[in-house]
Amino acid sequence: MTRQCQQLNLPDRTHTLFKWLAVVGGASFVLGLLFAPERAWSSFLLVNVGLLGMGLGALLFIAFQYVCGAHWAVAIRRVPEAMCGILPWAAAGILFTLVAGKSLYPWTTEHAVGMKGIILDYSFVVARAVIFLGLWLWLARAIVNRSRLQDRTANAALSASNKRLSAVFLVVFGLTFWMACFDWVMSLEPEWYSTMYGVYHFSGAFLGALAAMTILAVWLQHAGPLRDVLTHEHLHDLGKMLFGFSTFWMYIWFSEYMLIWYANFPEETGHFLRRQAGAWGPVFIANMCVTWLIPFFVLLPRPVKRSPGMLVKVSCLILVGRWLDLYLLIYPSTVGSESVTFGIWELGMAVGAPGLFMLIFVRRFRSAAPIPISDPMLEASLHHHQ
Amino acid sequence: MVSVGATIHDPLILGDKTPSVVTKDICSSLDRGPALSWWVAITISSTMLLLGLVAVGYQVATGIGTWGLNNTVGWAFDITNFVFWVGIGHAGTLISAVLFLFRQKWRTSVNRAAEAMTIFAVICAGIFPLIHMGRPWLAHWMAPYPNTRGPLWINFRSPLVWDFFAISTYFTISFVFWYVGMIPDMATLRDRLKAGWRRSVAGFLSLGWNGSFRTWLHYETVYLLLAGLATPLVPSVHTIVSWDFATSVIPGWHTTILPPYFVAGAIFSGMSMVLSLMLIARKTMHLEDYITVKHVGAMCKILIATGGMVAMAYLTEFVTALYSNSEYEQFAFMNRALGPLCWSYWIMVGCNILSPQILWFKAARSNMLVVFVVTIFINIGMWFERFVIIVTSLHRDYLPSNWTGYAPTWIEIATLVGSFGLFLTLFLMFCRFIPVIAIAEVKGVLSHGRK
Repeated sequence: MTRQCQQLNLPDRTHTLFKWLAVVGGASFVLGLLFAPERAWSSFLLVNVGLLGMGLGALLFIAFQYVCGAHWAVAIRRVPEAMCGILPWAAAGILFTLVAGKSLYPWTTEHAVGMKGIILDYSFVVARAVIFLGLWLWLARAIVNRSRLQDRTANAALSASNKRLSAVFLVVFGLTFWMACFDWVMSLEPEWYSTMYGVYHFSGAFLGALAAMTILAVWLQHAGPLRDVLTHEHLHDLGKMLFGFSTFWMYIWFSEYMLIWYANFPEETGHFLRRQAGAWGPVFIANMCVTWLIPFFVLLPRPVKRSPGMLVKVSCLILVGRWLDLYLLIYPSTVGSESVTFGIWELGMAVGAPGLFMLIFVRRFRSAAPIPISDPMLEASLHHHQ
Repeated sequence: MVSVGATIHDPLILGDKTPSVVTKDICSSLDRGPALSWWVAITISSTMLLLGLVAVGYQVATGIGTWGLNNTVGWAFDITNFVFWVGIGHAGTLISAVLFLFRQKWRTSVNRAAEAMTIFAVICAGIFPLIHMGRPWLAHWMAPYPNTRGPLWINFRSPLVWDFFAISTYFTISFVFWYVGMIPDMATLRDRLKAGWRRSVAGFLSLGWNGSFRTWLHYETVYLLLAGLATPLVPSVHTIVSWDFATSVIPGWHTTILPPYFVAGAIFSGMSMVLSLMLIARKTMHLEDYITVKHVGAMCKILIATGGMVAMAYLTEFVTALYSNSEYEQFAFMNRALGPLCWSYWIMVGCNILSPQILWFKAARSNMLVVFVVTIFINIGMWFERFVIIVTSLHRDYLPSNWTGYAPTWIEIATLVGSFGLFLTLFLMFCRFIPVIAIAEVKGVLSHGRK
């Protein structure tokens, strides 16, 4: 059974806005390189890690749905699929940082010794990055392509094939993602280490992707393509996931912080001391408030999870939290922890990243049917109820 | 409530059963007298329990010196057993509360037994800290209440105290959840039984259940609320157990990934124990239509997922120790893999990482013998995981002059055997007196009348 769906028609004004945002972001980076290279590279790494997290989080969502055999989100699967379109761009950004912006990483100039020296050998790190990013991009492409091919062929075997690929992706992700976070972000402070680091990045990335997905789904409902598709029932489930993963993020945050605080090793506490002392203190608290505390209490009642307006507001807050979180992870290590550095370069790239993301998202979303019209579980998803 | 989803999936319960057939099937084993196999099993398990009671009596009378502990290895067998049993107790609430919130309807066939197992496992776990106190009759000192002991007040800064509260909360909520879920079935038993003490007990426990719309409405509201309250307890208990170790400054214990790693490991071990027991129950109590290949397959997939998380944690810990360039961290992990107790490490890796990989294949998941063997391996592997973490981290500490070995005494082994005896005895009693499958819940997922 096929359904006719309205394709996304973006007003020119909105498209121009996205374009201008992206241009502002690009210009901030280029000009920033001239005037404040350290801040420009830090901000560039920040937005690329953030965008990569969006893409990987979306792919994780798709993979979880396939391996669990879940039907509820099939009707809105094109949203995370289009979000995966950012992955090649973010991957290029990460590689570009590792090659051209390697001055961010202290270990590229003062080489580490011992086992750390082997793990943080420059060519080894770059080679790992190429392998990790290559694997993720290849799996993202394979999964999204099979889903789109199913629109034309209505072949149920493609769902089974995607289920297998999703399982492969989850295993690959589990083996590689934490190491990637060690390489690209944790090694900005090469002397500090925490085994939780990869899990922490996962919790944030997945939460951010859920928030973005919620906003985009509601927007597409208003704009047309998901008008008769997205219901309160889908939103309710997205709201529950936002609630759950926001709390999961807090759990991981607290476990890492509390254990380091309690054991009080000088090697470990420095990382948090730099982030909670002086002017960084309010940022540190703000991160916890916008990523968990406020979403937790706002999302607790049932009607909120079924209200598109409230969900979008909470999701926007969580996305601000995502930026703050990465800002706290990167800036005190690179730009310095004496004062909070925020200015035109940071702001430019912070607004540029969503602009670029939206340009790619819209292009990817429009290049396929707005819902997976031939997925065997589509009808179940359209009639989903709690 | 008919979900469109139900029509696109295969039926959960085989044989197109009507509700009355379900009641008859599940209650029939309660109506019959115990089978010979049950008598054999309870004889063995109660003998094990008796052995454990003798061992515990002896060590309480003599002192903790009857254990193999020494100055360096101050925690070993008892804490290993404690963490092992708490871990086993994790699948029950996961299946009953978390999977309920996730709308996993297959949980209805296994939740009752899994919850019972949770409660019994937590009881077994509780024994070990109690006897480790040396004077278990002073256990009430753990509770903070106004007393005449002056400054002798519990230390709220100690994770061991947090653990006491976490586990007692977990036990309480799990027990209440188990009981509330059982109320409609107690009413079913009450209505079926002939007058006598069993009917009186079932009648009392069913709290005057009358099956009316209002009763069901209240029941389902309470059940949903309890599920929501019980869900945070699933991660919290083992998180706090992990803090017993991770807040210390011992290499191999102090590592930040420990909380989620312990939670994943607990679900892994608990799920494998549920499977071990349910595969036996399925066969001996003829429940093949209720606990189908599909149910076993779903549980196997949880084993693969949580086993994968555990494997990821092993890998992260190892690589981070190398990355740290701290000689103590590096030594702790090299000592695990290559030191004098390396056999325990390789048993752990073999059982927990390698053995579940066979479950990727559908043919293996559908073969009950293969699944049973794998779950036994996982049970063994997860016991050794705790042994590795606890003993190998302690026996060679910062000062080489302190280095020593550790071997359990027969008292400690007998106590472990006794805890298994207690666990199995309680489980066998449960199979005799309570419907092992939640009758009312299974009736809600029947395919009968939905075509």
